[in-house]
Amino acid sequence: MDGEAFIELHGITKHFPGVTANDQVDLTVRTGEIHAIVGENGAGKSTLMRILYGLYQPDAGTITVKGRPATIDGPRAALAHGIGMVHQHFMLIPVFTVAENVILGNEPTTGIGRLRLREAEAEIAELCRRHGFALDPAAKVEALSVGEQQRVEIIKVLYRGAELLILDEPTAVLVPQEVDELFANLRRLKEQGKTIIFISHKLDEVLEISDRITVLRRGRVVGTVEAAATTKPQLAEMMVGRPVLLELAHPPVSRGEARLEARAVTVATGVGRRRHPVRHVSLSVHAGEIYGIAGVEGNGQTELVEALVGLRPIVTGQLLIEGRDVTQQSARAIRLMGVAHIPEDRHRRGLALPMAVWENMILGHHYRDDFVNGLLVDRPAVDRFVAQRVRDYDIRVADTDAPALALSGGNQQKVIVAREFSFAPRVLVAAQPTRGLDIGATEFVQRQLLAARAGGMAVLLVSAWLEEVLSLADRIGVMYGGELVAEFERGQVSAAELGLYMTGTKRGAGVPA
Amino acid sequence: MKARLFLLQAAAPVLAIGFGMLISSIIILAIGRNPLEVFGVMVRFSLTRTDSLFSILFKSTPLILAGLAVAMSFRVNLFNIGVEGQYYMGAFAAAFVGFTLRGLPAGIHLPLALLAAMAGGMLWGLVPILLKIRRGAHEVITTIMMNYIASALILYLIADVFRDPAQAGTPRVRTPDVAAAARIPSLAPVFNRLGFTGSDVQKLNALLLIGLALCIVLAYVLARTRFGYEVRAVAANPGAAEAAGIANRRVEFWMFMLSAAIAGLIGLNDILGFFGYLDIDFPKGLGFLGISIALLARNNPLGVILAALLFGFLDRGAQGVQFFARIPKETIVIMQAIIILAIVVAYELMTRYIRMQRKREAEGTPTVSPPAMAPAP
Amino acid sequence: METLTSLLSLALIASAVRVTMPILLTALGAVYSERSGVVNIGLEGIMIMGTFFGAVGNYAFAQAFPQTVANAPDLAPLAGVLAAVAAGVAFGLIHALVTVTFRVNQIISGVALNLLAAGLARFLNILLFTQATQSPGVRGFTPIDIPVLKDVAVLGPLARGISPMIVVALILVALSQWILLRTKFGLRLRAVGEYPLAADTLGVSVTRMRYAGVLLSGALAGMAGSYLAIEQAHLYFEGMTQGRGFIALAAMIFGNWWPVGALGASALFGYFDALSLRLVRLPVPSQFITVLPHIVTILVLAGFVRRAQMPAADGVPYSKEEE
Repeated sequence: MDGEAFIELHGITKHFPGVTANDQVDLTVRTGEIHAIVGENGAGKSTLMRILYGLYQPDAGTITVKGRPATIDGPRAALAHGIGMVHQHFMLIPVFTVAENVILGNEPTTGIGRLRLREAEAEIAELCRRHGFALDPAAKVEALSVGEQQRVEIIKVLYRGAELLILDEPTAVLVPQEVDELFANLRRLKEQGKTIIFISHKLDEVLEISDRITVLRRGRVVGTVEAAATTKPQLAEMMVGRPVLLELAHPPVSRGEARLEARAVTVATGVGRRRHPVRHVSLSVHAGEIYGIAGVEGNGQTELVEALVGLRPIVTGQLLIEGRDVTQQSARAIRLMGVAHIPEDRHRRGLALPMAVWENMILGHHYRDDFVNGLLVDRPAVDRFVAQRVRDYDIRVADTDAPALALSGGNQQKVIVAREFSFAPRVLVAAQPTRGLDIGATEFVQRQLLAARAGGMAVLLVSAWLEEVLSLADRIGVMYGGELVAEFERGQVSAAELGLYMTGTKRGAGVPA
Repeated sequence: MKARLFLLQAAAPVLAIGFGMLISSIIILAIGRNPLEVFGVMVRFSLTRTDSLFSILFKSTPLILAGLAVAMSFRVNLFNIGVEGQYYMGAFAAAFVGFTLRGLPAGIHLPLALLAAMAGGMLWGLVPILLKIRRGAHEVITTIMMNYIASALILYLIADVFRDPAQAGTPRVRTPDVAAAARIPSLAPVFNRLGFTGSDVQKLNALLLIGLALCIVLAYVLARTRFGYEVRAVAANPGAAEAAGIANRRVEFWMFMLSAAIAGLIGLNDILGFFGYLDIDFPKGLGFLGISIALLARNNPLGVILAALLFGFLDRGAQGVQFFARIPKETIVIMQAIIILAIVVAYELMTRYIRMQRKREAEGTPTVSPPAMAPAP
Repeated sequence: METLTSLLSLALIASAVRVTMPILLTALGAVYSERSGVVNIGLEGIMIMGTFFGAVGNYAFAQAFPQTVANAPDLAPLAGVLAAVAAGVAFGLIHALVTVTFRVNQIISGVALNLLAAGLARFLNILLFTQATQSPGVRGFTPIDIPVLKDVAVLGPLARGISPMIVVALILVALSQWILLRTKFGLRLRAVGEYPLAADTLGVSVTRMRYAGVLLSGALAGMAGSYLAIEQAHLYFEGMTQGRGFIALAAMIFGNWWPVGALGASALFGYFDALSLRLVRLPVPSQFITVLPHIVTILVLAGFVRRAQMPAADGVPYSKEEE
């Protein structure tokens, strides 16, 4: 597609304490194209886009918009140049309506400051019609689906006259069907002359939707290619600098007894306990296998995991660990039975960041006789344990007395893994274990899961990353709307078909209610 | 790196105190006096006279307990502003046990009175903490309300129910005298032997030793025991602590009860120590000073000792300033409040700076070299 | 004790209305502050400053301009109110600086402010009037009659001879409700209290909105204090706020963070406050009557906190680089 340049970035450089996020980045985006920017976590894609949108200022380099040099010192300036950002984590206020969210910051008012809400709603309705979005401007955002909320984000920037839209990992929270809808919308926008920058690490999608692709690695541009002229392996190699194993060796399963069983488990939350994020879920995980739960985040996986490890009460149903009923037991009791837990949010549930690395390493085991001498903590014993774990798992830490926030993300996850794998757990519940990790760390964690499986542990893997579930699991369950809607053996189902279950389009026959 | 961090952490309170002095100097200048003269009087009066030194120790005794009480609740991110009301109730409970029971030996009566004081404080703290844990009611407002209720209750009990009949006809409104066996022994005999005499020496009592001992013991417990570990975990990240099997609510409850129990002891310096009865004009406001001290000490039990001594010094200095330099002692009160504001800002900025430094280090470390070892589970 | 009718007697209600005012104004201020995401425990201290400066401003103006005051007697109390509002804004500025700019824990800052206010009040009182706890007496506003309603016989005590500040306060409540719901300022203020990051990405200044919320809370709490000193007690004395700044916070919570709700809740507390002043003939000791509002506050917080829908980012300091 031969259009003139809309945006030109020259020599953009940005430093943060301890890391150079962008290093002499050159980028040209042509008017009317869909240009993808790919790279793994920490490659600098988000930083670059934040600079383009004015949330950060570059330490060096220039930005040119439509041939003229531009200083973008904030979102307003970016919008003035026609640049709009559609955030990965929606910047929407749940209790406000669609219209209120769209006009915030650009409110049409009368002289004394009164909002012209009705006019705004009409204008938004017209915008939606023109671009084929189906949205009710007066609806409260908290009542909308994820796909609809994303459309609100897009309307927000269109309302402000954006000609160039930056979409940051837009498909991270969508199922295959919603991705198709999004891509249809993007193509329509392109037809109307809009330019789109699409940030992603999902190479299939990038190849499907974009015209050109720029690859970033460690803050630098590796290269810009035509989508039609490249392949997935080629892109992956550009992204990480070495050929990447996208598949790990998966020996046949040797299944033992059922170690974790959920029988019609239901969880209730909210005011008056009227919401049921988990409804009648039944599954069993056996020794020596990985049971993977696929599903878009927000369909009850978080609550299910919390219920299975004792952090959330089970309203009806039963939970059995190695045949023993633990439905009403505390998290501590369940841990003591040999259930290990890699939490999905390591900063919220996994580590106490202000505490020392050694303290985090025994978190959850701190009451064991191994570490306690009467009422006192047995430091020498703890130190020996920590030193051994650091060696075994190759955890890069300068000083185990330093707080855990002094560790990089990958090393933090290693601490959690090292800790949870200690004391020969019988069951491992791993929720989003590779989220936010770079390729090296991801591979490491996945190998650990396979090793656990080989050693006879029962592993429950919950992941929103479909490829990860397909590659690691022996059996796959799908969660949708709080229910386990399907269950398959490895190799019996494709990604596309799983997508249908993940959106509730299909329901498995004979799934125990 | 560690040495640098330590220096930074010590710098913050010094800077805050300096800032407080600066503002006070401005106020002193504004009323036409010389700040250096005022500070000179303060230092000379507080530090060069032996009666001042003992007076400072006497005044610091309840402050140590107040700061420790507040610090214990702050350690689990609970704001026990109700220390004030809790010490009123503890004071009354101790006085009650003191003047109601007669004929008990000191070995029983005094400990009983101390226990009563702690129980009184704990009882008064029970309502707010239960409401917080069960109903999510913010403990700041409930404890403050309990303070007002305690104030009214105490007034009623002292003036109407237990008013000392021997005082009838006088303007003194107070309870009967506490039995001699329930009095906390004075430390005077020790110091008299060393040649120090005077009324201020006489006032100093063993509650100081109790306070110091509590600080040392609690510092040790928090740093070295399993319970202390759990307290630190709950404060650092309640979500992670819960996931690790720690019973957060139980930890919070017991720390709050500990806080309230220590609070109950605050008033004993006067009631069982010096005066021997509970007067309607007993010292008030110590609870709020306790908050200031806990903040200054960053909730560290050993730091509480230093902070309490500082405030004792300021208090004594304020008296001297009022008497000799004829400047209202409220100037010093304002200085205390400014110090508090300055110190929380300083601590916040410092913590953030340190955290940034650590993150900077973290980003530089790689995660894996080519295929990491996977041990057999 | 009298029967049910006495509990609803017009005189009692009129008294309740008067007593509600300080709580209402402070609660209204609290709504602005917390809607922007800043908890302001220091409102009690600001109220204290309001009582002090309200009385002192009134007194000083009357002393300085006796002729003017003789001609227009309402200028002195007005000076008091303005002084109180200014003091409230100044204290609010400290709180905003410490919690918004320096991002210190909002509870701690509020507690420190209360300490500062108590000390400052004593200090200034000594400086001006040589004793710590009381100011000279001051005159209040000329009472007004509400047109139309004053002629309705049944409403007598409610519509006749009331303080103009009551009218102002009620207007402020209605105005605030409209502002929060229907204006650009209100939308932005609420946005910043719900999801500051989202507002920031749209170019709304979180800092500016939070400063506005906190300064408004200071102004209103200052005004509330001035009402107490000028219209109710006609002087300043130490401790006259009696914890009403905290009760106002409970009223705000009970009122679901809306001005109209705060009005209803404050009225409830005001009613109990007024009741406590009239129940002196009961066999219950007088001390307990005075703490009736405080007990009710605890009951409110215990019973109703769950159903409240507080602004999502209330109490959480905002910083951009938090990722």
